[in-house]
Order: sequence, then C-alpha cells, then structure tokens
Amino acid sequence: MPTPEPPGLAIGDRLSALVAPFAAFGPDLVVAVEDGDGTLLAGAPSDRPVVAGAPIGPATAPLGRVVVRGTDAAGLQAATEVLAAALEALVEAAGVDARAVEERTRIEAELALGRRLQRSFVPLVAPDVSGWALASHYEAAREVGGDFFDAFAPRDRRRELAIVMADVTGKGIAAALLMAFARPLIHAAIDHARRPAVALERTNRILVEERRAALFITALCCYLDTRSGSLVVANAGHEPPLIIRHGTTALEEVPVGGPLLGAFPSIALDEARVTLDPGDTLVLYTDGVTDARAANGTRFGDDRFRDVLHDAASAGASARELVDAVVRSVRDFTADEPAADDVTIVVARRLPPRPRVRRFGGRSASPR
Amino acid sequence: MALDITIDQAGGDTAVVALTGELDASNFTTLIEAGRTLHADGTRRIVLDLAGLSFLASSGLVALHSLIRILRGEAPPDPEEGWGAIHSLEFDVSGGGVQNEVALVAPQAAVERVLERTGLKRLFRVHEDRSAALADA
Repeated sequence: MPTPEPPGLAIGDRLSALVAPFAAFGPDLVVAVEDGDGTLLAGAPSDRPVVAGAPIGPATAPLGRVVVRGTDAAGLQAATEVLAAALEALVEAAGVDARAVEERTRIEAELALGRRLQRSFVPLVAPDVSGWALASHYEAAREVGGDFFDAFAPRDRRRELAIVMADVTGKGIAAALLMAFARPLIHAAIDHARRPAVALERTNRILVEERRAALFITALCCYLDTRSGSLVVANAGHEPPLIIRHGTTALEEVPVGGPLLGAFPSIALDEARVTLDPGDTLVLYTDGVTDARAANGTRFGDDRFRDVLHDAASAGASARELVDAVVRSVRDFTADEPAADDVTIVVARRLPPRPRVRRFGGRSASPR
Repeated sequence: MALDITIDQAGGDTAVVALTGELDASNFTTLIEAGRTLHADGTRRIVLDLAGLSFLASSGLVALHSLIRILRGEAPPDPEEGWGAIHSLEFDVSGGGVQNEVALVAPQAAVERVLERTGLKRLFRVHEDRSAALADA
C-alpha cells in the first residue's frame, strides 16, 4: 500500500509548479505564494514591493496569498510584453498567425450575420393551402450558401400558389445579399406576370440592369392552380422538379430547363405544363441535397436522393415525412462533415378529396 | 475532395490549365486566384483542360465566368468579400457571343450536363483536346 504523500508538501509542490512559468518574466514581475507572515511558500524570492495580491484557500484557514511583486508601471509593462511575446509564440507554434486569427474572426462574424440574414428570408412555415400539404426544409451551410424558397398566393390570383426555389451560386455574404435582393424581386415579378417564364425573364433583366449579377441564380418558378392541380413550371438553370404519381413510386422529372439568371442580358425560357392529380407529389430541391459530401469525398448524388424518395413514397410517407426522410438520409450520409452548401427541399402533395359524409336514410329519418 | 490546378503551359499569351478533382463551393475561389496570378503574369487566354474534373458545382460556374472577366482585365468582385462587395458588384454580363478568353477542353459528361443545364455552355467554345483549343486562338 503506497504511503500517502504529506499533504503540505504536495500542495507546496503544486503551487511551485503553477507559479514556475512566471519566472520567465524576470525580476520586474514576480508571482509568488506567501503565507500570512510573508514567508515564501512557492515562487522566486523578491524584495520588490507587492503591487497586487489575493488570498487563496478558505477564509478561516487560508493556504496563503498569491502576490505579484513588481517595481513600477514600466516594469509591469515590460513583464506584460514578455507575456504577450510568449503568448504570440504559443499561437505561432499552433500554426496560426495572428492576422489569420483576426481574419477568421471577421469572417466568422460575417458568416453568422449572413446566416441570420438568410434565415430571416426563408419562410419558416409553409402557407396553409386547402387541399394541399406543403412541407419544407432549409438548412444553411456553415459558410452560407444562397438558397431560398418562397410559396405564396400571387396578388389577385388567390386560387393560385406560386412556389419558387432558387440557389445563388457562390457562397458567403455576397451570395446572401444577392438572395436578399432577388427574393422580393421574384415575388414582385410573379405578382405582375401571368406566366412563370415571364416572371423569371423579368427578374433576369432587372438583375442584369441593376448590375447585381456578379453571381448567378438558378431558379424554379412554379404556378400551381390549387383547384385543378394544373402546374406550369419555368426553369432557369435549376434542377428540374420531380413528381411522384399517386400509387406509384417512379419519379417523373418535369422536362424543362433554360439559362440561369444574371448571366445573359435577355433570356427566353420555356414552360412545362403538367397536372397534379389527387395524391400526386411535387418535389423541389437545390443541389445542396445531391452535392452533399461524405468525409470520404463521395457525393450524396441523384441516385441516392431518388432512392430515398422512392423508398419513402413506397412506405406511404406524407409530404412532411418525405422531407424528413431526405434530410435524415443526407445527415446520415454526411455524418460529421460540415455542410458545404445549403440544403433545401420543398414537397407539395395534392391531397385526395376528403371522403364525403354519407347520409344514411335511416339516420336522417331518426325518430324525433 | 480536393481540386488540383495544374498549370501546364504559361509565360506566353496563352496558358494551359488542367483541373483535376471537383470544383465546388469549397474551392472555386482558388481557381479565381490562379486566374488572377496568371493574368498578372501576362496571360490573356486560358485553355482549361477539364478531362480530370469529375464534378462541377454551381459555384464552379462563378469561377469559370470570373476567369473570363479577369482575362479581359475586369476585376470581378471577390465572392468572399463582405458588405463592401455589394457596392463593387460590377456589370457582369457577357454580350451572349462566344468569348475566346477561356476555352474548355474535354469536359466529362457530368460537367457538361451542368454547363448545359445552366445555359453557360453557350459562353464557351468546347474542344476535344488541347491542341484543337490551342489552334483555335
């Protein structure tokens, strides 16, 4: 059985170890531990005046007092400079130079700002549209991408639902700012255009004329007649929407494409028209989903994305469950790898008609 | 995955630059930086060999587009710039004609699909091999 160390000795040794590094300051700044009578318990002896001190240990039975002895302000300044140099050396030894730290701090602050900015522009709650189930997920990348989506009834067209999905290329504050600029622009263009292609073409022209187009925007613009299920889609360089037909699990790609926004002075976009029947599901997403990368460099990819949708649809997933299944799958896939791009997905399902309340003759003729 | 930028020919008016790996949001600024350096050294045309590029994200398109502007002597705004950037976003639209400052060589199918989907393919002349691209100057 080992003999316990004499407690006094152990504490003294530890105090000595703790104050030892301060010896590097030299005689101008001495950090030591003394007892009540000024007897040195740990640290180097010094006859300089005490400039600061604080007791350690219980008030009734103090272990001692930490004292800082120094000459004057100049001496303290010199000692502080030694400390600063030592810390700088420590930081350099860690492979970081001070400017990089400063730059990183600035960038982190901007990123946080960008994320807040961007989050504030993405609707948190899908609008409540009778006969439709809408679900969405938006997740900002660490370095802020420029995804956004929007779903609203255009001005004076209450039975219509406009759904926009867009991705500003690039990342960082510039992408977030362009997104902040473009989102209301697209909204206004939709309010004033009967056709989604026209809305995007006008947005493009304004982006170009306003000289905001140092980055590009890929965008999907969908006009949905919420009563008939008629859907018109215009696509400016974005991943085309997918449709899962009721009772099937095959994925149908809405065949429409065109140049992205902000690159060309004028663009002419095609439109695709499809009808969503009851039970049909529309899936919009950004490349943050398919481009999500695992630590080993593999991309989530189109196939995995479609497999997840297929499997969830086979299991009878709701709109919300479809979104959640994709998000979960992307997270499992990327594990701890930080997201390089925003991940955005929107699912709209046309609900089957509500079963009619049947009136049975016997009940309505119940005895009074 | 990393992006390797190999400068196979430089010093003259035309540089041959090969991209290997993936060009995405995590590294597209590196390519812009390389373009700046080449331009400062006198390069006015880049033959961009994409044979080894397996993936092109939409952010990569910004880099390709920026290269054109850099070679024209227009300084594109730094995509990582902060609030100041919004003031310096300069007019950035090609006239729609095919430029020849940046020529593409042998893009893989996945890369070509992105260029086609986004309509940016129309900005570039695409060649089968380097010699064809160099002869097209």
